[in-house]
Amino acid sequence: MNGHAILYTGVTLAFWSTILIVGICYTIFDLGFRFDVAWFLTETSPFMWASLGIGLAISLSVVGAAWGIYITGSSIIGGGVKAPRIKTKNLVSIIFCEAVAIYGIIMAIVISNMAEVSSEHLLLIMIQKKRYSMFGAGLTVGFSNLFCGICVGIVGSGAALADAQNASLFVKILIVEIFGSAIGLFGVIVAILQTSKVKMGD
Amino acid sequence: MATTGTMHLQRISTSLAVLLALFSLLNSAKCDEQVPLILWTSEGVSTSTQAPPAAGHIVEQQQLSSYLEKALNEGAKNVVLFLQDKMSIEDFTMYGGAFGNKQDSVYPNLEVALMSSSSRLVLPAVSWPASNAVIGQLQDQLETSPLYMDPETLSQLRLNASSSALLVFRLPYGIGADLMSAKEILSGNDEVIGQVMSIMKSQSVPYTAIYTALRPSREAASLSMEAGQGGGRSLLQYRGGYRDRERERERQRKVKERPGVYGPVEFKEGDETCILLWAKSLSVKILRSGTWEDHDLTPSTFGEGVSPKLHGSSCDKTKARLVLNYENVLGHRSFKLMFAMSQRHYKVSARRWFTLDAVELEYDGTKATFNGSRHIYAPAEYSYRCESVTNFRWPLLTPRTSKDPSNQWRVSFEDFQIQGFNVSSSEFSYASDCAGFFSPGIWMGLITSLLMVLVLTYGLHMIMQLRTMDRFDDPKGPAISVPQTE
Repeated sequence: MNGHAILYTGVTLAFWSTILIVGICYTIFDLGFRFDVAWFLTETSPFMWASLGIGLAISLSVVGAAWGIYITGSSIIGGGVKAPRIKTKNLVSIIFCEAVAIYGIIMAIVISNMAEVSSEHLLLIMIQKKRYSMFGAGLTVGFSNLFCGICVGIVGSGAALADAQNASLFVKILIVEIFGSAIGLFGVIVAILQTSKVKMGD
Repeated sequence: MATTGTMHLQRISTSLAVLLALFSLLNSAKCDEQVPLILWTSEGVSTSTQAPPAAGHIVEQQQLSSYLEKALNEGAKNVVLFLQDKMSIEDFTMYGGAFGNKQDSVYPNLEVALMSSSSRLVLPAVSWPASNAVIGQLQDQLETSPLYMDPETLSQLRLNASSSALLVFRLPYGIGADLMSAKEILSGNDEVIGQVMSIMKSQSVPYTAIYTALRPSREAASLSMEAGQGGGRSLLQYRGGYRDRERERERQRKVKERPGVYGPVEFKEGDETCILLWAKSLSVKILRSGTWEDHDLTPSTFGEGVSPKLHGSSCDKTKARLVLNYENVLGHRSFKLMFAMSQRHYKVSARRWFTLDAVELEYDGTKATFNGSRHIYAPAEYSYRCESVTNFRWPLLTPRTSKDPSNQWRVSFEDFQIQGFNVSSSEFSYASDCAGFFSPGIWMGLITSLLMVLVLTYGLHMIMQLRTMDRFDDPKGPAISVPQTE
């Protein structure tokens, strides 16, 4: 086995054996009632969830965008060596990838605007809904943008290479890219819906 | 060859060592017990003070007789011997006010006598079986027979300065009784010493007084025949015996005397205890015209022999209500503190839980309610215990509404424990503590760290699988040359 496999199996083994031993201890001492997921979800600070949501929104979107640009970019540059005319046209693919990162940052700003210390602190139900909505919204937009970015990148790379061969192919492949970009937009819409519900519920 | 030789040698040396250990233990068994001896002479008798023994030195029989000889030759012929049944130097340490607490000392008369004597000799360790010979030695040296007396008979006796007399006062010592009476007994003995001293003083006869015992009151813990012969004990073996029993009893006595330990408030429905409540302290504060006025309710609720009024309390299978009634609290004539608890079966956890639904303060017709069910809950079979239950500092109690009069109050319980259901024999069941192993903060840290470690792992994995391109490598071809000039 190579080094990676050993490392990952070791870490997984340690993790699961810890879980197993802790579980056995809970059972033996009849303290199973202390394993309380609800306590964890309610007692942890809402700001952790909010901040995680914001962080994940922007970072995952940026990862997706970066990955897409990396894939497309290398193809454009590679193809551009033999067919320099593709350079300008294929910047469109890069812009589609970039849009994904912009969605991420917009959502992060929208979510962070809700994470203020308010007098609603006393009204605990509000806090539950709010923190999980923020976390969920961040997660939604982050992951959908991540995969959207990768998708657009790979399609864009194919488009660049096809364009280098045959200029008429580019527009056809662009349509595929537009479909890929739409899924990122879906993620943003759903995230806005999640966070807006909280505002309206106030 | 060499190895067998060394092993043989090792075997011999170990057997020698065992033999030596046995001998030393047996020897030490003989003189491991010591009894203190205190000797002082009355005022007006001048003797050359004898050098006391070095610290830790155990006085043997020979040395003891030489000490006594010297003291009696130069000193008075009348000897007053206080012979206690048992005595060890530990009695003086424990009860003699040795730790700066002179007021607790049980030997005030002895100390006064020693201070006012013209010469004194303190032998903290006279080897024990030898010390039994004290009476015999005194008898020999004074050539009189001992007279066993007590203070009443002494006051009737006429003593003569020229003739020798040996007056023996037998003093008792507690036999395995608990420590309370040992202190009393020693105190009583000291009283006797005081009386005898005053009588001797009134008779104005020079005397020598000796305070010692027939046997030690404490066994040396390491002394037991099994230790010597068995070849040793494991380090964690319980060393039974007088010393440990004493320690245990001392600890229990301290626990009883400590002010913080008392029983819980019990509400009995009929014959059976239904609700239990305990706290180290309970105080309430009200905000009146900008200042907080507080009132400590602990002395009227908890304590040895304190029984608060519990009218209005009730309990049944699903609901329990404990009402503590007070008078004249913060200017209110009648003041009630109510704990409302309920228990039911919860489907998701498939278990019965009880919650402290509300803590209410009722005074002058106003009711201030705090909700407690969010944090104060435990399985129905167990009790709930928390270090601090307040509504202002890490609050577990919250006012019911924002307009409720409870917003003006601050209630604080310290070391709070409550049980409303399934109480058996007026003792708390297992206490489910409000503090878990990991606090919420720790969990939060763990989750975020885990997330970041995952991200790091993924990134590391990606970087580690980057390879340099080797598709066009040709080790046999010419090396690539990069021309410097264009």
